[in-house]
Amino acid sequence: MKTVTLDINGKAFCLDVPDGELLIETLRDRLGLLGTKYSCLEGDCGVCTVLADGKNVLSCLMLTVEAEGRKITTIEGLGQKDLHPIQQAFIDEGAVQCGFCTPGMILASKSLLDAHPSPTQDEVVHALDGNLCRCTGYVRIVNAVLSAARKMTKTP
Amino acid sequence: MKTTSPVGKSVPRIDARQKVAGEATYVFDLRLPGMLVGKMLRSPHAHARIVKIDTSKAEKLPGVRAVVTAEDTPKIKFGSNEFFFPYTVDQLPLEFEKVRYIGDEIAAVAAVDEETAQKALSLIDVHYEVLPAVFSSVEAMKPGAPAIHTAMNNIGVMMPTCFGDPDRALKESDYVREDVFYLQSAAHAALEPHVSIGQYELSTDRITLWSSTQAPFKIREAMAKTLKMQEADVRVIKLNVGGGFGGKLEMFPMDFCACLLSKKSGGLPVKMMCNREEVFSFTRRKHPMIYKLKSGVKKDGTVTAITGEVIADGGAYCSYGPTVIAAAIMRFMMVYKFKNIRLFGSRIYTNNPISGAIRGFGGVQSGFAIESHMDMLARGIGMDPVEFRLKNATDPNMTTVNKMILSSNGLKDCIRKAAEISGWKEKYGVKKETAPGVFRGIGIGIAADVMGSKMYKSHESAGSIIKVEEDGSVYLFTGAADTGQGSDTAMAQIAAHELGVAYERVRIKAADTEITPFDTGSFASRVTFISGNATKNAATDAKRQILEVVAQELKLDIQRLDIKDEQVVAREGGRALLSFDQAVILCYSFNYGRLIIGRGNYNPKTTPVDFRTGEGNISGSYGFEAQIAEVEVNTKTGQVKVLKMYDVHDIGYPINPASVHGQIEGSIVMGLGYTLYEDLKFKEGRVVNPLFSKYRIPRSTETIPIESVFIETNDPQGPFGAKGMGEASLLPTAAAIANAIHDAVGIQIKDLPITPQKILAALKDSENKK
Repeated sequence: MKTVTLDINGKAFCLDVPDGELLIETLRDRLGLLGTKYSCLEGDCGVCTVLADGKNVLSCLMLTVEAEGRKITTIEGLGQKDLHPIQQAFIDEGAVQCGFCTPGMILASKSLLDAHPSPTQDEVVHALDGNLCRCTGYVRIVNAVLSAARKMTKTP
Repeated sequence: MKTTSPVGKSVPRIDARQKVAGEATYVFDLRLPGMLVGKMLRSPHAHARIVKIDTSKAEKLPGVRAVVTAEDTPKIKFGSNEFFFPYTVDQLPLEFEKVRYIGDEIAAVAAVDEETAQKALSLIDVHYEVLPAVFSSVEAMKPGAPAIHTAMNNIGVMMPTCFGDPDRALKESDYVREDVFYLQSAAHAALEPHVSIGQYELSTDRITLWSSTQAPFKIREAMAKTLKMQEADVRVIKLNVGGGFGGKLEMFPMDFCACLLSKKSGGLPVKMMCNREEVFSFTRRKHPMIYKLKSGVKKDGTVTAITGEVIADGGAYCSYGPTVIAAAIMRFMMVYKFKNIRLFGSRIYTNNPISGAIRGFGGVQSGFAIESHMDMLARGIGMDPVEFRLKNATDPNMTTVNKMILSSNGLKDCIRKAAEISGWKEKYGVKKETAPGVFRGIGIGIAADVMGSKMYKSHESAGSIIKVEEDGSVYLFTGAADTGQGSDTAMAQIAAHELGVAYERVRIKAADTEITPFDTGSFASRVTFISGNATKNAATDAKRQILEVVAQELKLDIQRLDIKDEQVVAREGGRALLSFDQAVILCYSFNYGRLIIGRGNYNPKTTPVDFRTGEGNISGSYGFEAQIAEVEVNTKTGQVKVLKMYDVHDIGYPINPASVHGQIEGSIVMGLGYTLYEDLKFKEGRVVNPLFSKYRIPRSTETIPIESVFIETNDPQGPFGAKGMGEASLLPTAAAIANAIHDAVGIQIKDLPITPQKILAALKDSENKK
């Protein structure tokens, strides 16, 4: 067991966790942050994507003790009442079907747009390569990210 | 709040805000007080007799709350096509005599945590007597093959069809050819794993099951039957579902065991969830098929006869076997007006995992075989594949040879439009080398969709209830099961339009067997058409109730009133008489006290498939589709790159265009995966690639440009002219790509997936023949 202080969605949490506990387990089972889903627990699907210091990481491959000292953002931290422009674009472009990949997909997109505010379609497609979706064929997801990028660069 | 009608508009999905905010709840997320972890004990053998099961050690393990075996069950079998095909009911919730595949369920445990549950499984002692097993459908049919059930030659389902005089027609043909096509297995790969939570109420003997399912009412029926309970005592609740694609269409032993373990644990809820490996290995898979065809054609392009055989590897149990065989045999009869047909379909038991329903049922397999074969027939007489299809395609207002009644039919318009937008005339048959050794080609495939399949019950009805509260809020109760395709949104749009109110007013409560009306479930592209009509009827009823009060109050004829854009209006002239809110308050007022509760149902006029003949008008209407693929083939590497897909779909009328395009795009990309690389592989009955890293589904970098166009035929039966859709776009994709490869480099690949190795081998083979 280790005592860790985590910064999750801007709030500090002090927890005792086993050394081998995964961040996805801490988020879902200890903190009740159920917006982060998982589909394989093997790092293959991207569903459990969260942000660590703004970069997309897989919470099924990160130990909770490794998250100490990093700012973790989950979908709950991105926007719930007031949606982030990426979340709004996913709604407007019809990029959501079953919704299971959506939180991870949105956070991977945020990581991209924070680093590259005006990506090309090719850059979007490559940035989302690690996030699987079985419903949409990705067409509307890519459109949503491009549309969000346009809106976000217009209104600083 | 004033808006015009939402029907025909890409309004935001009703569940989109919760989904993008991470607040949408799936059964995957659900936690209940005292909840235990359930796990299934599965057979490690493909075929074995169970000699003895000893659970005593597992029961004594601290933290274990319950262990169940078949001895805790009434030993009643279940099946998915039970009503019409009682002989296909062949699976026990827990087996006790024999296991028939690697993964067959024989016991289950509930414990305080996952680790304890896993340990308990390892402490269950099972003695097996291993039996000879058979893994190939062709081998399983041979005399002397191991008998898996009691079916003769392991043929679980048979479907002989014969129309006209195919032998004579073949003789009278100008060109005859024979082809054999091989179709591999595939996985649904929905991202939410199979999961359910069962809770048993001991004081009343009632069950609640929360399940990630496409068909809650179907599960209720199977659960009640196998537990010897009344359906009224089984409540099945669907929450958000993270994808289904046919993989969550029936009861699984884990659903049953979750409830039984809860009973034995004193009523504590038990959660059963598959990990990814279990989803791939032990749920359902696509039927591998061998499709043999021999057909003839006249010089003018008229197909004279089509004959052949379809052999499907069904795996250990029947599941949706009859529906899949019917789809594999009958789908093309909606597409082509052939008169002479003889096809024999059989579904064979093997000791492989269970084959079941998957988007398109058997239509994807037949789509590849038939549409590739049609191109080869066209080439045999030197006819353009587009012209060939126009010559043989079905027309509106006709009855097919197997008695399907086609009313609206935009198939020929779909073919012409697809040819037009893809530049078919300029591109087809033109040799184009875009880089050294890289050739471009174009190919077509066509398909039809049903709107339901009448394979589950004597009726195929769906119901809806709409209540309008005093504050003007509108609640829609529907049994329709949204699994991500967007049916809740479509139902809300239909209700809002018919009631004449804003889409934003409608709240939906769906798919809870105790609260919502009956609905057979989300399958066979049926929901928009059948549940949509039920919802429209409920809204019509609610509207009539409101207008009755207004008519009485204003002393007007109800026939002259309507509700539009949130106003009660005069039908003629459209003058607003009072607002919707005022009308509702009037209904609830002192003099009237009328609670507005509209109800509606819809049962399409269909007949079940007669498995002795292949006849049956299985759907209330039919949808149509043409797809054209443009590809580039690298003759040095064997790589196929799909440059673009053109899809033209007769969807009747699009209730939500963005949703319809989304279904088409998702289908095409799923089809692209199946065509080029998806391949669930087996070795002696064991899935060898049960991981996303080994079973590749398309990624964002593998998606392709898609041009999707609608043909609006305004179906006379459909709600606002809409037809169902969601399966058809997957059916012609593989053949369109295979045919385009032929156009590029002159080779026709007849076994999927079309890997670079197969391309290189076929190129070498055709070089040698020259």
